[in-house]
Amino acid sequence: MAVDTQEVPFLELMPEPLFDRHGNEHPQPVPKMKLGGGDVVKVLQPYLSTRFLDQARAVVPLALYLALFQYLVLQTPVIDASIIAGGLFAVMVGLMMFMEGLKLGLMPFGEVIGNTLPRKLPLAGVLTIAFMLGVGVTFAEPAIGALQVAGSLVDPKAAPYLFTLLNDRSGITVLLVGLGVGLAAVLGTVRFLRGWSLKPLIFMSLTPTLILSVIAFLDDGAGGLNTIVGLAWDCGAVTTGPVTVPLVLALGIGVASAAGKGADSSLSGFGIVTLASVFPILGVLCLSFYTKFTVPAEEIIARAAEMRAAAEAATSQPQWFEMTPWTEVILGVRAIVPLVIFLAIVLFVVLREKMKNAFITNYGIILAVVGMCIFNIGLTFGLAKLGDQSGGLIAGAFASIDVIAASPLYSMSVGIGIAALFAWVLGLGSTLAEPALNALGMTVQNLTNGAFKKSMLMGAVAFGVAIGIMLGVLKLIFDWHIMYILIPGYTIGLILTLLSTEEFVNVGWDSAGVTTGPVTVPLVLAMGLGFGNALGATEGFGILAAASICPIVAVLTLGLYVQFKVKREERRTARELAQEGEIA
Amino acid sequence: MKRSFTTLTDATLITAIVQNGYGEVITNALLEVGIQGSTIHAAMGVGIRERLGAIGVAVDAEREVVNVMISSDEVDRVFERIFMAAKLDVPGMGFMYATPLLQAATYVPPAILSKYSG
Repeated sequence: MAVDTQEVPFLELMPEPLFDRHGNEHPQPVPKMKLGGGDVVKVLQPYLSTRFLDQARAVVPLALYLALFQYLVLQTPVIDASIIAGGLFAVMVGLMMFMEGLKLGLMPFGEVIGNTLPRKLPLAGVLTIAFMLGVGVTFAEPAIGALQVAGSLVDPKAAPYLFTLLNDRSGITVLLVGLGVGLAAVLGTVRFLRGWSLKPLIFMSLTPTLILSVIAFLDDGAGGLNTIVGLAWDCGAVTTGPVTVPLVLALGIGVASAAGKGADSSLSGFGIVTLASVFPILGVLCLSFYTKFTVPAEEIIARAAEMRAAAEAATSQPQWFEMTPWTEVILGVRAIVPLVIFLAIVLFVVLREKMKNAFITNYGIILAVVGMCIFNIGLTFGLAKLGDQSGGLIAGAFASIDVIAASPLYSMSVGIGIAALFAWVLGLGSTLAEPALNALGMTVQNLTNGAFKKSMLMGAVAFGVAIGIMLGVLKLIFDWHIMYILIPGYTIGLILTLLSTEEFVNVGWDSAGVTTGPVTVPLVLAMGLGFGNALGATEGFGILAAASICPIVAVLTLGLYVQFKVKREERRTARELAQEGEIA
Repeated sequence: MKRSFTTLTDATLITAIVQNGYGEVITNALLEVGIQGSTIHAAMGVGIRERLGAIGVAVDAEREVVNVMISSDEVDRVFERIFMAAKLDVPGMGFMYATPLLQAATYVPPAILSKYSG
């Protein structure tokens, strides 16, 4: 490549110095650089393309997989393909803007607060703010919106309490999930400070959760709480997303390092994620019991019919805020703005700190809000629609459904095998694409001095999720209750926890939380609901819950194996050394 | 065993300070033409965001500093290669410079040593 070369003195790039009459240099502002149109494009292009590609890498393969599967195996073209493509594009653009906004706008808040809060407030104050932050971040989590979208698909007659928790009481449900995350943030922070083991915490939080689930499970009459269990356990998987984990961690680590406890343990980041995925389950279960005792099922069914009638009456002339772009925009603004206001109050009023680089922070916050709105639109038209469609169509492989005329396409056993394989590959692929898993893998590899390799952890988690999603789909086909998967799963998990060392317990239980990102959750939720609807099941929840316990079991098992291998190696070396000693 | 010590002459250090992620782009571009031994450090940059105004948000304040030692005879070629790989003709991407080195030392293959020892 021929390059034109010329020489220019560096002086040309320096600003002209200003001197006052005493010969002292005079301060002057930084000269602004004027950019031509071509240069603006050159500056923006790499900035946009790298961030966009990050999201595209997670979304495009999944979407292609679903579409190709639908086309080749189910022999049905994707309905509304252009709308779904547009929606998926909106998901990518929205997530790109949201993640950048999170990094530039929200994370600096979290870091400043995490570093200065423990120095300026007593522990009780810090914990109060950690608790409130936990509640706030839950509302800002992008995947939470997917729950509300999923709620509109539930039939109020078959599952009245599930319906009310996701529709007219959805705000309270999210609040209870948030309270769970808040409690987890407090306990996790105290755990950092006191250096508690995670094992008793897991037992103490899981025991009441499992007991309540069993009670709810046994309540299987008409209008019983039987249907709520799947939702409750899914909520645990939904909460631990890209907003909650870094913000709560920043605060917890800040507290720990202010107390001088940060450096001694590389494990300090773990545990909060686990607790943040157990407490919300407990919260939702408590709420469902409270609703059960205060509101009779008939009232809910009547309310639902009323709401439906009102919605039908309103379809002729919907209010502007009920029309599609605006509902999503309102949801997006409502998710981020309160969190920002809360963070700003803590920073400016409680701590009296100033924000460095306010322009960049404001830009980040605006980006986060706009990104969240675009993501919400994409969620409705892209991920939820595609997941719902594939879920509904996959049933056509073995059962007779209306959409596919030739269904069932395959014999019963082959069809179920295809559906299970489809779910398995979906779980494997979507998990391996999750960037948070890559980061966890690196940490674990460093933590265990390479005994537990990154690829091994990623493989174990992805395998676990794949099995979990497959079990979840089989649960829908054979109409098992989710408890038949959860009880044995968590029993094995708890036994393995007793046998494992502290490091693997931390890693294993946290791995369940990181696997469920903002793309996987809505897609799998919608797929489960669409699939459940096509099969006539009352509810399609529980797939995420199954996808949470399986990686825990997989990682703990692998951890025990690695431990065993290391011990055997040590014993062998010791024996060889002893033999050498004898010979000598 | 008697150990020997060799100093290398006519060496130049090229330092490039580029946006996060471009450090590896440069080292790969150098490896392609067989130049190895680059070092990447993490750094924070100040100033360009203020100069660019609103577009400054597209410029990452986190920087990478790439150091590579080369023969003084090859400076122009390598300098140009790094400039192109790191897209330094775009505003805000970064800058680079070359400094002459008094002396340098590293492992020198015996075949080359024997050429000069005679």
